[in-house]
Amino acid sequence: MKLAVFNGSPRGRRSNTRILLEHFLKGFSETEGNSHEVYYLNLVKEQDQFKRAFTEAECVLLAFPLYTDSMPGVVKCFIESPEPFVSRKSNPDLGFIVQSGFPEAAHSRMVERYNEKLASRLGCCYLGTIVKGGAEEIQVQPPQMTAKLFTRFYKLGRVFGRDGSFDQSLIEQLAKPERLSPIVLLLLQLLRPTGLLNFYWNRQLKKNGAYSRRFAAPYLEK
Amino acid sequence: MKICILNGNPGSSRNGLDCYLKELSAALEAEKHSVVQFALKDLTIKYCTGCFGCWVRTPGECVVKDDSAMVCRELVRSDLALYASSVIMGFPSALLKKVNDRLIPLIHPYLAIDRGEVHHRARYDHYPQLALILKRQQDTDDEDMDIISRIYERTALNMKSSLAFVRSTDTSIGEVVNEISSI
Repeated sequence: MKLAVFNGSPRGRRSNTRILLEHFLKGFSETEGNSHEVYYLNLVKEQDQFKRAFTEAECVLLAFPLYTDSMPGVVKCFIESPEPFVSRKSNPDLGFIVQSGFPEAAHSRMVERYNEKLASRLGCCYLGTIVKGGAEEIQVQPPQMTAKLFTRFYKLGRVFGRDGSFDQSLIEQLAKPERLSPIVLLLLQLLRPTGLLNFYWNRQLKKNGAYSRRFAAPYLEK
Repeated sequence: MKICILNGNPGSSRNGLDCYLKELSAALEAEKHSVVQFALKDLTIKYCTGCFGCWVRTPGECVVKDDSAMVCRELVRSDLALYASSVIMGFPSALLKKVNDRLIPLIHPYLAIDRGEVHHRARYDHYPQLALILKRQQDTDDEDMDIISRIYERTALNMKSSLAFVRSTDTSIGEVVNEISSI
């Protein structure tokens, strides 16, 4: 199978999306004869190359982080470029990965609906959307915390490389939690005043000497 | 009411929207609303690079200095932010989405629980309500409009606000003005 992968992260090669894709593609490559090429959509000036890759692929995987509840601007820019290919015969199969910083999958369900509609608009066979929440910190988490996640992406890639489809049970596992349970929500509320939940941000704010200005509201000043 | 209109029309071939917004602005001003309109295509605004500098380096401000600061400043001081765009491939333009992404300096990285979900906490005490004016294309259907509405409802929620309405440019100017005046 000839797969074109579009990494839609504004962070490009330094993205969490790239890490998840690497594990997926490792599994994908295990089937003999499979080949793939990765394109970085943050390089917005390369639309002609993206367009060519899209039309020549048998399968396309579009992976992006959730930005303000939908696709990042660079991804929408790419989506507008295949506008001339709408309902062209022999468009590739189209699958998606949406990862987000929020812990729950629920945040990504609306853009998942958009993805499915986009595939149908393009006349592409829709392979599905792999939704993963809580992915912002995977670059700084110790290996034991990410091992299970990376294995699941590897397995998803392996099944996809072999069968050309996404494994539904793996997708369901990755999407958990869909929403946080009332007990977890209560726990988070109780922990809020301790500042423990803000550890990830506070560490960076302090490193940058910006901690004291963390509540700045500059556009109402002066 | 203080209204900030973001015109996400990317090019001259989709002029109908510009005319509609010009008429709408005039009608709103006639009703004593104050209107600031940004034609986003005339502004210099880069794509967000996801650096989170606006949260952890220069809190509340993007580290990239361009016209997005002007939009942020105007928007957070408004009562209503009106996002306008043609529907392109079932969604507002890349130009509008690019600017939406650059509004995250207005919120705070810390998490908060809102309606049983994890969201970000507010940076400001007051945020504008959101509303959408969409120009339908030949291929736009009701499902597209519903998906866009649902997504921007969530965007509004993440801006500690709500989505006041979604209207297409098929709606008469008078009706939109009435809708805005009744907010």
